[in-house]
Amino acid sequence: MALIGGIESHASAAEKFNRDVDRVNWHDKALWNLRHKRDLAAESQPEWEDLKQLGSEYKLHTLANLKHYLTEFEANCKKNGIVVHWAKDGKEHNEIVHSILAKHNVKNLVKSKSMLTEECHLNPYLIERGIDVIDTDLGERIIQLNEQPPSHIVVPAIHLKKEEVGELFHRKIGSEKGASCPTYLTKQARAHLRQKFLEADAGLTGVNMAVASEGAVAIATNEGNADMGVNLPKVQIHCMGIDKIVPNMDAASVLSRTLARNATGQPITSYTTFYKGPKEGGEMHVVLVDNGRTKLFQDELLAEAYKCIRCGGCLNTCPVYRRSSGFSYNALIPGPIGIAVSAGDDETHSLAWACSLCGSCTQVCPTKVPLDKIIFKWRRIHSEQGKLPYGKNGYMPWVGKFMANETMLNLGMASARTALRILPDALMKPFGMDWTKHRELPKAPKTGSFEAWFKKNRENK
Amino acid sequence: MKIALFIPCLVNHMQPNVGIATVELLEKLGHQVILPEGQTCCGQPMTNSGCFEDAKKTTLKLLNAFKGIDCDYIVCPAASCMIAAKENFHEFDCSPEATAVIGKLKELTEFLHDIHGLERFNKPFNHKVSLQMSCHGIRMLDLATPSEIKGSGGYNKVEALLSRIEGIDIAYPERRDECCGFGGTFALDEGAVSGKMGKDKAQAHANTGARYVVGFDPSCLLHLDGVIRREGHPVETLHIAELLNQAL
Ligand code: SF4
Repeated sequence: MALIGGIESHASAAEKFNRDVDRVNWHDKALWNLRHKRDLAAESQPEWEDLKQLGSEYKLHTLANLKHYLTEFEANCKKNGIVVHWAKDGKEHNEIVHSILAKHNVKNLVKSKSMLTEECHLNPYLIERGIDVIDTDLGERIIQLNEQPPSHIVVPAIHLKKEEVGELFHRKIGSEKGASCPTYLTKQARAHLRQKFLEADAGLTGVNMAVASEGAVAIATNEGNADMGVNLPKVQIHCMGIDKIVPNMDAASVLSRTLARNATGQPITSYTTFYKGPKEGGEMHVVLVDNGRTKLFQDELLAEAYKCIRCGGCLNTCPVYRRSSGFSYNALIPGPIGIAVSAGDDETHSLAWACSLCGSCTQVCPTKVPLDKIIFKWRRIHSEQGKLPYGKNGYMPWVGKFMANETMLNLGMASARTALRILPDALMKPFGMDWTKHRELPKAPKTGSFEAWFKKNRENK
Repeated sequence: MKIALFIPCLVNHMQPNVGIATVELLEKLGHQVILPEGQTCCGQPMTNSGCFEDAKKTTLKLLNAFKGIDCDYIVCPAASCMIAAKENFHEFDCSPEATAVIGKLKELTEFLHDIHGLERFNKPFNHKVSLQMSCHGIRMLDLATPSEIKGSGGYNKVEALLSRIEGIDIAYPERRDECCGFGGTFALDEGAVSGKMGKDKAQAHANTGARYVVGFDPSCLLHLDGVIRREGHPVETLHIAELLNQAL
């Protein structure tokens, strides 16, 4: 998976984000609000847990039989008149998309709903080659104008306040100065985008699900922009990771029932469209991309990350994501699922530690991706490679020896109790400065250890 | 029943009162309590950081302390240590003796609710308490249905036990089972986020107007206690063993 930003550890970036307490509180609340709406929507389905189980089984089954379903999908697409392309990585993906556009002499491309093209860095690739690329999802358009990557997979501009969007629109699309009313700003964006839709020579979208039995791709949006982008111009292109495949319409319907509910609390998105072939006189292309996916499929546990349907629920529930924001992750996809798919490529080796292992993500996930177990496993993989962050390489062996040695532990802790300060260096860390920056030191108990108490008061009686 | 205690290092050294309350309450309920020797730590600080090799010796030392001990259950007043012990034992030792030890492990609340079936208390507890539903106990040990799980009823062993005490007023903080931010070394590795999570949690507990924050995980309580004192909230932490012991 693609990485963004520099090589700053998550903790350091998060620390900077936390300097502005009001912003942290605002960010936290905005996303908790989504979690809350999700709770209400999930509660309204008595069979919610069964849907999750089914969703998980469908995805697992598909991943286990990926070759079969991909082949079926390709064959059915061809029957429907769809051109299917295969890309092993981001570079190939970009080349394929560009070659289609070049063939039709496309100058203006409208895009919608694709984290995959972000992952492949498609926009800069096409812009360099003289193509005007416009992201048309409102949030995506905002961050495109702001020259930023998305900070969330479903609400990509969630890090910006409406006042900031007003200021940006004023500068970039000429809306009124000082305006921050969401309705007004949305209307401005709509007028601005309408023009872009009319000018477009081709439309490109991501894919929420690709249905093997039908040779169709499904796209879910709330703004209808994917449909505008795809229906107007002659050429339509749909780019998808190979993990997006589902066997049939039954599977697609189960996943559709949880996707929007778990993302924003809506029963379903305003528009969920299945594209099953080109329009009259038009062309429809589907590009299937691996880009590192099959590498992770080789590990049984890590592979489960690809059951993900990108609802964003795990980001919204994650107490760390909410208080550190997407940009602190040094990965295109932030939050728990971002760690699950990107930790292996993280040069800071800190991503897997941006987690308190509370497990809320795993429980919230509509396809039961065992996110906390995957994150835990990444820590182990890093440790085995000797690539531990935060000085752990140095102090962990020491802690291991200390904890295993009763005499040393008893002595150390006895002095800690009386002084709470004479611990050997490595064990000082937990009770030293890092701890007291945010909380008081533990109150030293009045008695000795429990073991001493037990020996004195019980064993001889 | 004959109960062997698993007393994690943090309880042994920093919160002996929790261990003492556990002994006293189990004895009041008619159980025989023993403390197998040689326990230090479950290895969680190391395995949580991915350092399984560094955890091995410590974990096996704890496991060996329980091997061959004659008892019905091994009870621990700390949910996350209990889970870590279970998982780590299994990781390093698959022998029948190890499996027997793992099979006997019970967290205190779990033991009292599921095995002992604690129904009656003798003394009232006339205070409002705000429950700290710590992650490991909820999401890994199933002490209560996590807030993310919907549409299938639900249960809460912690509340079920406490609600049998006369006079007690049980409250929950807003976002009832959001993580408090301790997370072992997470509190140090991710100081800013952990600190903020702790602050928000302490505030949510204080907002209930409760006198005590009651929980079953001593490490979360240790962290929350530090935050509560730093922030000056008029609330105190109390381990569930101490509360139950007072009411018996
Ligand atoms: S891992 Fe699960 S909760 Fe997270 S985005 Fe994917 S489907 Fe949603």
